[in-house]
Amino acid sequence: MFAYIVKRLLAGLVVVVLISMAVFALFWFGPESPARPVCESKTGGKCTEERLANFEESLGYNNPIYEEYGKYVKGVFVGRELTVGTQKIDCDAPCLGYSFKNNTLVWDDLVKRMPATVSVAAGGAFLYLALGIPIGVAAARRRGSLTDKVLVSTFLVVSSVPYYLFALLAWIYCTLVFEIPVLGSSGYTPFTDNPWKWATGLLLPWLCLGLFGCTQYTRYTRGAMVEALSEDYIRTAKAKGLPASTVVYRHGLRSALVPVVTVFGIDLGVLLAGTIFTEKIFEIQGIGLWGLNAVGAKDLQVVAATALFGAVVMVVSNLLVDLVYSVLDPRVRLS
Amino acid sequence: MSTPTMGSETVGHLSDETVPGDEPPAKKRQVSGKSPIQIALGRLRKDKVAMTCFTIVMLFVLVAIFADVLQNLFDVTTEPGNPAQQLNPMNELLPYKGPPSGGFDPAHPFGVAPKTATDNLAVWLAGCRTSLLIASLATLVASIIGITLGLIAGFVGGVVDKAISFVIDFFLTIPFLLLALTLAPIINQRFALKPDLYEKAQLWSLVAILAFFGWMGVARLVRGEVLSLREREFILSARVIGMPTTRIMVKELLPNLVAPIVVAVSLMLPAFIAAEAGLAYLGIGITQGNSWGQTILRASNYYDDYALYFWEPLLGIVILVVALNLLGDAIRDAVDPKTRR
Repeated sequence: MFAYIVKRLLAGLVVVVLISMAVFALFWFGPESPARPVCESKTGGKCTEERLANFEESLGYNNPIYEEYGKYVKGVFVGRELTVGTQKIDCDAPCLGYSFKNNTLVWDDLVKRMPATVSVAAGGAFLYLALGIPIGVAAARRRGSLTDKVLVSTFLVVSSVPYYLFALLAWIYCTLVFEIPVLGSSGYTPFTDNPWKWATGLLLPWLCLGLFGCTQYTRYTRGAMVEALSEDYIRTAKAKGLPASTVVYRHGLRSALVPVVTVFGIDLGVLLAGTIFTEKIFEIQGIGLWGLNAVGAKDLQVVAATALFGAVVMVVSNLLVDLVYSVLDPRVRLS
Repeated sequence: MSTPTMGSETVGHLSDETVPGDEPPAKKRQVSGKSPIQIALGRLRKDKVAMTCFTIVMLFVLVAIFADVLQNLFDVTTEPGNPAQQLNPMNELLPYKGPPSGGFDPAHPFGVAPKTATDNLAVWLAGCRTSLLIASLATLVASIIGITLGLIAGFVGGVVDKAISFVIDFFLTIPFLLLALTLAPIINQRFALKPDLYEKAQLWSLVAILAFFGWMGVARLVRGEVLSLREREFILSARVIGMPTTRIMVKELLPNLVAPIVVAVSLMLPAFIAAEAGLAYLGIGITQGNSWGQTILRASNYYDDYALYFWEPLLGIVILVVALNLLGDAIRDAVDPKTRR
C-alpha cells in the first residue's frame, strides 16, 4: 500500500513537471516575444524595439530556457527575487511569478480566488451525489416502469445539451428576465462575510452544475444498482426476510456505489481545477475566470499558474480516487 | 427488441419447432448469416428515436455542405450590411425592418444582426458549416491517432504499452479547457501576421486542439479490446502462418474493432461540436470567420431586445448536439448484444 502510494505520487510528480515544462516552453517558443505583452502594458502601448529589448533583458528572456525554468522551479520551492522593469519584488515560496496586469504576486491571487472556485465546486459536486444517487436508486428499483423510462429519457436529453448553454439560459432567464427572488441574485460573497448571501448567491450556479451533472450520476447509479440487485446475495438477503430498504441500501447500494465514487473523484478534480464556464456566466471571480481573463490579457505567468494548479488538483484527485476505491471495494488490491 | 433479428443465428432456429413470429414453415426457410453490423443496423432502423435523430443530423449535414448554395438561393451574404440604412440609431442600433420589431423581412428571413447589419441566415448557415467541418475533421484526426496508438499499445505490449499508457494517462490528467485556453492564442498568433492564412489557420488550430485532447478515449478503448482479442485463436493462427504484425493489426484486429470504434466516434462528434462552440463562446475559438459560439457570445446581450438573434445559433447547437448524442446512444445500444431496454 505504502509503496503504491509512493509510486503513484512519483508518477504524478512527473506529470506535473511535464505540464509545467510544456506550458513554459509554449510561451518561450511562441510566435511573439513573451516580454511584449508586459512591455505593451507597462509603456501604455508604446512598446518600441529598444524598450522591448530592455524588458526581455530584465525579465530574463535572453537567458537560455533551461536556466529560466530552473529559476522558476527554484522560485516555487524557495522563493526568489523578481525584476519587473526597474522594480524589484520579493516573491516568497511558493513563487509562481508576478502578474504584470494586476501588479500582484500570482500565488497571492491564486489563494485569494481559491475560496470562490472551491465553493462553486463543492456545492455543485454535493448536488451531483445528493440528486444523482437517490434518483438513480429510485429508477433502478422501478426498472422498466413508466417512471423509469421517463426519467432515463429526460436525463439523456438534458445531459446532451452543452452545459454552458444550459447555464447561460438559466442565468438569463432566472436573473435577468424573470428576476426570480433569491435564485436570481447570483454572485459570489465570501462565506466569512455573510454566510446567507454566500449561499443564496451561489444557489443558481450550484443548481445548474448539480442538475446538469446529476444526470450522469443517475445513469451510473441506475446501471450499477440494476446489476447489484440481480446478484445472488440480494436474493439471499431477501430470502432472510430483511426489510426492503435494508436490502436495497445496505446490500445493494454499497456495492453499486464503488464505480460512482470513481467518477465522482475525477469530476470533483475537474471542477476544482477551474469551473471556467460557470464562473464566466455567473461572473464569479474564481480561478477559472482568472485564467480566462489572463489568456485574453496575455498574462503568461497567471496562465501558467492556472494550468499548473489544475494539473496538481487532477493528479491528487486521481490518486485519492484509487485509494478510496481500495477501501470501498475489498476486491481491489493496489500493487 | 433483439429477438427477431437475432433469430437466424440462434440454435433454436435450426431445430424443427417454430419460433413465434417466425416465417411459416411452408415457405422455404432462408438460413442467412447476419454480421453483427447488419444486426445493429436492423435494430437501428426499428428505433424511431434513432431514425428521427438521423434525419435531423442529415439535414444539418446537407445544410453544411450546401451552405453557399443556400446563401445564394436566399440571396444573402456573410458580408456586413449597410448599418446606416438598415439600423435604427435611436433604438440601440436594432434593425428597422424585420425582427425584432418590424415583422418579417423577406430579404433577411432570420433578420439582420445589430451594429453590423450582417444577415443572420447567412451567418447561421456558415456557422453550421464551420461547426460540422471542425468537429468532423477533429473526430477523424482524433480517431486515427487513438486507433493507431491503441492498436500498437494493446498488440505489441511490454514497454511500448507502458509508454503509450503513460501518455494516455498524462493527457487525461491535463485539464482540457485550461490547456486549450493556453494553446489557442499561441497557435493563432503565429498566423496573425498573415491575414490570408489566418482563417484557415484558426480552423486547423482548433481541429488540432480538439483532436489533441480527444484521442485518449478511443485509444484506451481500442487497447482494452485488443488486449482480449490478441489471445484468441484466430490471431494465434495468423501468427503461426507467419503473417506480419502490421497485417495482423489491419486485417485481423481492426475489423473486429469496428463496433466499439463506431460507438466512440459517434459520441465524439457531438462532444467536439459542443467544445468548438464553447471555445468560441469563451472568445478563443473561431473569432474571425463565422461560428455559432461566436454569435452566441455577441448575441447574449440581446436576449431581451432581440431574442431571435440569440436563439438562432443556440437552437442550432442544441438541436444538432442533442440529435447526435441520442443517435450515438442508440448506436451504442444497437451494437451491444447485451442491451435490454
